[in-house]
Amino acid sequence: MDKLIFPDTGLMFWTVVTFFLLMVILKKAAWGPLLAAIEAREGRIKADREGAEKARAEAERIQKELEARMSDAHSKSKELLAAAAKDGEALRARLKAEAEADAQAIKEKTAAELIAEKNRLVADLRKDVASLSVLAAEKLLRKSVDDGVQKTVLDGFFKDLETSKASKN
Amino acid sequence: MDFEHELAHHLIDHKLFHFMVGPLDLGLSPLILTMWAACAFLVVSLSLGARADKSFSRSVMEPLVLYVRDEMVEPIFGHHTDIYLPYFLTLFFFLLTCNFFGLIPGASGVTANIAVTASLAICTFLLMQFAGIKEQGLGAYLAHIVPSGVPWWLWPLLFVIEVFGMAAKCISLCIRLFANMLAGHVVVLSFISLIFIFAEMSHVAGYGVSPAAVGLALFIMLMDVLVSVLQAYIFTFLTILFVGSSVHPH
Repeated sequence: MDKLIFPDTGLMFWTVVTFFLLMVILKKAAWGPLLAAIEAREGRIKADREGAEKARAEAERIQKELEARMSDAHSKSKELLAAAAKDGEALRARLKAEAEADAQAIKEKTAAELIAEKNRLVADLRKDVASLSVLAAEKLLRKSVDDGVQKTVLDGFFKDLETSKASKN
Repeated sequence: MDFEHELAHHLIDHKLFHFMVGPLDLGLSPLILTMWAACAFLVVSLSLGARADKSFSRSVMEPLVLYVRDEMVEPIFGHHTDIYLPYFLTLFFFLLTCNFFGLIPGASGVTANIAVTASLAICTFLLMQFAGIKEQGLGAYLAHIVPSGVPWWLWPLLFVIEVFGMAAKCISLCIRLFANMLAGHVVVLSFISLIFIFAEMSHVAGYGVSPAAVGLALFIMLMDVLVSVLQAYIFTFLTILFVGSSVHPH
């Protein structure tokens, strides 16, 4: 049984030689191609993942940009709306003022016309009354009076009328 | 029946012929032939698996290779991984295959021989020295054998102790694998021998005990399958640890 625990040097030699030959052969035949394939696959997966991450970042950037643009457009439209409302208000105020001015002018013109009409009517009336009075006096006096006399009489008449009016009051 | 003689007959490697080269007897033996068969099997199946993407051997070897690389070598060797990976991969697959081939009835237990495990342990020892000198330089490597912060007068003593420690690590590697693999063979042989020991008393006893003996032997064989994987892993992992510790001294 002693042989069991004493290593045989020839066997050790063969083991070392075999192991090193195996390592050299496997390195060429197995580990090299296998590790290269594994690394290529890992590289491919890494590239795919990086591509996907890049695409996602790009999508996020575009989304952010769109959102910014949307909010920009929103605020701009709000601004435009406010400006339009302001313009409308101003226009309304201007129109109202103009209409009021027009109305005032029409009113004033009408009032002036009315006064003029009244004055004309008063003058007409005064003329008619004078002629009628002259006619009546003529009839009363049965004599024709020339224009100068007529005027003197009329003036005297009106003076009397006014004094009588004054004394009445 | 001389049980010890029988055991020795089955467990000791007998040369088929002698071929003396100096002090070495390079004659072939069943163990060497089994080892070569295991190596041939490895070379064929692994190179096939490395090239054929969807082959069976690829689907078996790839997870093992990735496990050795990512879980065992990479955490310890870091960017030195690529240089040392082929050695550890070869070691792991060599041990695994030799352990399994040793379980085949009629084949020799390659790793149940102390010469084989001693050779691999010596390779580990040499690799430790080689890696340490290559990565650190000779001076730094020798200086780092002793932990830093030791008083100068203790240094020579500790140097000797550390060198012996390194050798002891490798001797323990050698004996662990040898004893674990040998134990399985011894126990299986013992159970099978029970049949013949009882048969010498009477034929009936021999037949009577044989189902139990075969059943127990089978159970031990199944356990040996587990032990084969486990010991291949342990030997490889400890080799990685030892070599790693001489690559990175701190």
